Amino acid sequence: MLLITGFAGLYFGKTFIARQQAVIEKAAILQKKNTLTNIDHFGNDIGLLFFHNKFTMANAPDHWAAFANGQRDINPYLISVTMLGLEGQLYDTDINNPVSLLLGYMDLSFVFIFLFPLVIIAFTYNLLSEQKESGIWSLLRAQTNRSFQVIWQKFLVRVVVVLSVALLLLFTAMLYLALPQDLTLLSVTVLILLYLTFWFVVSFFFISLGKSSNFNASALIAVWVLLCIVIPASFNLFLTRKYPVPEALQNVINQREGYHEKWDMAKEVTMKPFFKHYPQLKKYPFPERKTFSWYWYYAMQQMGDDQAAASRLAIERKLASRQHFTDVFAFFFPSIQTQLGVSKIAGSDLNTHLAFQQAVRKYHEQIRLHFYPAIFLNQSVNDTDIKDFKLKKYNRKEVPHIWVNMLSVSLLTLVMMGATAFNLKRFNS
Amino acid sequence: MSGRINTIAKQTFKAAFNNSATLALTLLLGLSLCLATYVGWQNFKMQNNQRLHYKALVRAQWLAKPDKHPHRMAHYGYLAFREKHELSFFDFGIESFAGVSIFLEAHKQNTVNFSEAGFTNGMLSFGEISVAMVLQLLVPLLIFFLGYNSISAERESGTLKIILCQDVSWKQLLWGKTIGIISICLAIFIPLILLTILLWASLSHWQISMDSALRLLLLVLTYAIYSFIMSAITVLVSAFARSSKSSLITLLACWIFFMVIMPRITQAVGMKIHPSQSKIEFADAIATEVHQQGDSHDPNDPHYAAIKDSLLKAYAVDDVKKLPFNYGGYIMAEGEKITSKIYSKHQDELNKIFEKQNSITTVTGFLNPYLSLKHISMALTASDFNTYVDFQQQAETYRYQLAQKMNKLQIEKISNIKPGDEEKPLAISKANWAEQPDFDYHFKQLDTVLSKELLALSALTFWLVVTVILLQYSNRWIKTI
Repeated sequence: MLLITGFAGLYFGKTFIARQQAVIEKAAILQKKNTLTNIDHFGNDIGLLFFHNKFTMANAPDHWAAFANGQRDINPYLISVTMLGLEGQLYDTDINNPVSLLLGYMDLSFVFIFLFPLVIIAFTYNLLSEQKESGIWSLLRAQTNRSFQVIWQKFLVRVVVVLSVALLLLFTAMLYLALPQDLTLLSVTVLILLYLTFWFVVSFFFISLGKSSNFNASALIAVWVLLCIVIPASFNLFLTRKYPVPEALQNVINQREGYHEKWDMAKEVTMKPFFKHYPQLKKYPFPERKTFSWYWYYAMQQMGDDQAAASRLAIERKLASRQHFTDVFAFFFPSIQTQLGVSKIAGSDLNTHLAFQQAVRKYHEQIRLHFYPAIFLNQSVNDTDIKDFKLKKYNRKEVPHIWVNMLSVSLLTLVMMGATAFNLKRFNS
Repeated sequence: MSGRINTIAKQTFKAAFNNSATLALTLLLGLSLCLATYVGWQNFKMQNNQRLHYKALVRAQWLAKPDKHPHRMAHYGYLAFREKHELSFFDFGIESFAGVSIFLEAHKQNTVNFSEAGFTNGMLSFGEISVAMVLQLLVPLLIFFLGYNSISAERESGTLKIILCQDVSWKQLLWGKTIGIISICLAIFIPLILLTILLWASLSHWQISMDSALRLLLLVLTYAIYSFIMSAITVLVSAFARSSKSSLITLLACWIFFMVIMPRITQAVGMKIHPSQSKIEFADAIATEVHQQGDSHDPNDPHYAAIKDSLLKAYAVDDVKKLPFNYGGYIMAEGEKITSKIYSKHQDELNKIFEKQNSITTVTGFLNPYLSLKHISMALTASDFNTYVDFQQQAETYRYQLAQKMNKLQIEKISNIKPGDEEKPLAISKANWAEQPDFDYHFKQLDTVLSKELLALSALTFWLVVTVILLQYSNRWIKTI
């Protein structure tokens, strides 16, 4: 049954990512097509061309993204921007069905984190209590004074079976998702195995209490519900309350006002700070007397972004404190820890998206500085190299490591082992 | 007859609380419910206040804009914020996954941005604790723990034979046990409902609308029916199972499969069968159709050329510059009309695809009462997909109105003669801005909401009927020994 859900998880996870890749390819084609269409319509007015023309950057999914879809459904993986104010464009979402986002996706990490522990519980909860309840235990104890060894051996068999299934699924994932055999694969395998071991130890702890089957089943399911549902869900609520992000709405307002108010002000209110920001552009003569010029327009747009810089940093700070709070909390809960670790390494987490946004900001500036001269000098569109611009792909610079995640899961496992050993001593004496 | 049912029910109730584990669990659940209610209510207040604050700010900024050309105002646009319904603190639904603000401007339709989910780091895959979540997911688990051995324990200890010999029918036994279990739930449920009503009333500042009151009533009713269904299922499984142990395992397995695994699978299947477009494809489809219908930028475009000709004829002039109104504004109004219609058409098609995706999950409600209740609960607390679509539509209507209002001001009040390159731009008085009303979002009335939820409602009713029938008539199939 685990294999079936595991394969289903793999299939759906891959489908989800395959779709994103298909869309990215389509976007590359569309960018070229749209650029040519725009040149066709607006080719006479270079300022107007860049008003309409979009440049696309894609956060191409890693092979691992199919393993843990993470936030890739919520955060856009394609960002298309014109040369206009960035802060008004950067936060546009993709088109999503919010009900799908609510119910969540099936991917392999879901199977590992939520379903495997259930199977572990199902296999092991009545190892000892079954013997006791059917009367075999007293017979065993009468016959040998190493009666516990029998239980231990049965337990080990189950451990081996479950871990082999896990390894088999990971191996299949490696083939099906074309995962490279490197440190990442090793880290994820180790983390998953540690997580499963944690659950085995928890199960064994409850067995060592020596209570009835019903008690064991109820208690273990209660622990699962606590660790996988109640605690993370309560934490989410608490997090939203403690760290709301009104800075995001304020940022949009700041950018909008910062740009629009300039229409009613003297031109030098815009141009002075613009040239301060980009002194290298001073050399292009500014048409002071003209009521409207694209030079002024693009400078105004930039002012919107510049004035929103402070609120943008405020957003980043707030998100960083959120992340920190989450990390500290997650240290004590293996289920959360594993989920975060896997998402991090698969590049499906928030931090990857924030880095993607930063990359878009840099790219936006590159494009602007590249094309500003042509616009300010009112050159012909054909003199620019706009047709050479393709879809740009963002790649993570480095794959983050997940030592902390592994450490916390191991520590908690060891603690549970200690408690179990204590119980067993009491049991045997 | 009913006296016996009462006795059995009372006995079940008392016995459950004798068990310290169940007592602890019940108290814990009750406590977490109250906590969830309180924190949910606080969250709601904070987030809604934020949105109202920015709504007021946007309005003030709009009115404070100086004299200018109305087309500038059309580009300045408006920021609309999605307000939450008072009852949404009960069931968050898709609240955290749907955007909060949308920028409404001329010529262009934007997305609703800044969902709460966009700020979290993958934690939302674990869900959020809300009253609804506890009542839908955790209370059934409690019911299962409370009642898994309600019949099977009697059978195993031999007391079942004795009870049945004392002229108690199976029907009375089953009903009695069910009612006993559900009264335990009510013991937690009722103080919670009172707390909810208190908080909700204080949220609406003690001005309670009929619509919201009815919604709350229906909520309480549907959740009560759901608890009844769960209790009945527990007792029935306990009666049919071979032993207490197998009863517990069956119930737990059902809980895991129906409430944790199934929703994801049905939604994933829905998305596979009815794939939706990405934004870039969506935008491209719209742009292609706009181009076909009439390109206002192309001076040789047949559609606009026809308009130009008819206007020239109607006003008996030979050049658009001689028309007695602003020609540019007129053309933009026409263009806006065309693009809005095309956009709305595509948006409707997209929403229909999403509805189809969601319908798979809804239809599965006939197999899984949890899914039906979830749907109904979200609809009643205005945190469901339909409410979101409604917001998008109201926002788009407002946007269109704003753009056309600015176009009208341009047509009527701006001169048809373009100023020179170095002359001052044309402008109209800022007093005109007040003519554009604020964006006020109105939630749909209950009857509209219910008419859309017929499928889920019938699924829940179906389950109610089935469980009642089983309680009444399944005694033929139950083994006594």
